[in-house]
Amino acid sequence: MKSVAIIGVGHTKFGRSKEGLLELLCDASLQALENSNTYADNFDSVYVGAMCPGKFNNYTGIASALVDRINLIPAAADHIKNGPASGGSAIKAGYQAIASGMSDLVLVVGGEKMTHITTPGFITSIVATITHHEAERLHGVSLPSFGGLLTRAYLHKYNAKLEWLDDIAIKNHKNGSLNPYAHFQKTIQEFMESAIKKGKGNWANIKEFLKDNSRNPIIADPLRLFHICPISDGAAALVLCNAEIAKKYCDTPILIKGIGQATDTHIIYEREDITTLKALRTCSDLAYKMAKKTPKDIDVAELHDAFEILEVVESEDIGFFKKGEGAKAASEGLTQIGGKIPINPSGGLKARGHPLGATGVAQVVELFWQLREEAGKRQVSGATTGITCNFGGFGNNIVSILVERM
Amino acid sequence: MDDNKIEWIKCNKCGFIQYKSHLRCIKCKNNKFEKINVVGTPTLISYTILYAPPMEFRDKKSYALGIVEFENGIKALGQISSQKGLQIGMKLKPKFEKICDDLDGKEIYTYIFVPIT
Repeated sequence: MKSVAIIGVGHTKFGRSKEGLLELLCDASLQALENSNTYADNFDSVYVGAMCPGKFNNYTGIASALVDRINLIPAAADHIKNGPASGGSAIKAGYQAIASGMSDLVLVVGGEKMTHITTPGFITSIVATITHHEAERLHGVSLPSFGGLLTRAYLHKYNAKLEWLDDIAIKNHKNGSLNPYAHFQKTIQEFMESAIKKGKGNWANIKEFLKDNSRNPIIADPLRLFHICPISDGAAALVLCNAEIAKKYCDTPILIKGIGQATDTHIIYEREDITTLKALRTCSDLAYKMAKKTPKDIDVAELHDAFEILEVVESEDIGFFKKGEGAKAASEGLTQIGGKIPINPSGGLKARGHPLGATGVAQVVELFWQLREEAGKRQVSGATTGITCNFGGFGNNIVSILVERM
Repeated sequence: MDDNKIEWIKCNKCGFIQYKSHLRCIKCKNNKFEKINVVGTPTLISYTILYAPPMEFRDKKSYALGIVEFENGIKALGQISSQKGLQIGMKLKPKFEKICDDLDGKEIYTYIFVPIT
């Protein structure tokens, strides 16, 4: 099997964009071609990760449209769909193409364009179609409702405090404030100060601000707005190549050392314990084994905090903390930049934003910058090894990618 | 309506109880099952109150959803009739009723759970 290197990346600003999906994908892709010095090269294959371009943007055949617009013809082009883990699955497809020897130069791009949809409940309904249709969806579940069910079960089982989840949101917004590509580049302190300036109220501190239903409404009890990621537009891209030729393009390639994907029951209550993500345990184990690493070797992680409880549960099931200890560890600062194991220096889904198909790719782009010491004010000092968790469905199809400086 | 309408399946090889949509046992891959009914009053395992409903439920401002476990191990997810006084460990009773019209205008009847006071 060939080794696979990342030689360049692209990332649009996440948030509300006036551009369409195809324009966002082209923007991130062309940045990645430029960044990897492959602008004049012929690509063997292209993988586009996007969850719902058909429903959200009336696009069928988005990968074929992309290769035409940026002329990567005659590269093989595929659209990869795995819900919110479409980006991770697209990277896996790119990895396999090179590892197998079928391709030497591959573009992977993930994106989603969502904020133009203003009908209340429409996005919620479309995203909820990934749940089990008879056992779950018919009853009116949404992804945030699963976040609420998981949060309450976790707090009850481990005697954890909801305010520890606030601490994770505070950390992720602080990190996002240092990331020029993030949807929200504002700390929660700054959100509070701007609300005070606008005469919306007065609060002694951010803890009081976060308890105020008018500024931080309950969405899926006990989860409030600031525990939940936003709906965003954006795209992120990677250029992958056979590691043997990586130095031809780039001085500091980043290697994909391990990659794993695993599934779990479609119905969440059919899991022995809803607070354990067995699919993440399995797929991160595959990634660690392939890379001959353990959780102790990891310097920085990008986890899928669509709801802040997920960052907690993932930080446990990926092997950083014992079961039941992740929330407390985060509240004690262990996952901050400079802490024992920095998690989501990018701001995570909470602050960087969550354009569904883009997220899994953006996680690896962030690690690329971190491992090359290009992450600016949010740099994790001396990081050489990182891992991701890209969460599809509600934990029933997860991709984990382990990367290291070459 | 009686609670016997909630019907699950039991693998006739390993005995694992599971949702009726499985064609092969989620534990042992066997493809023969028997139908089984729920037994007793279920206990609430977790719940949430959702304030941002999907389109099918846009007429409601909010509603409670819970996961329950029956005495014979069957688990189920459904709406709860009340949003107040909910507690993990409390007992509920299943009841069948119309919960919404889907986006094609079809009436959806299913079980919901009513707290036993």
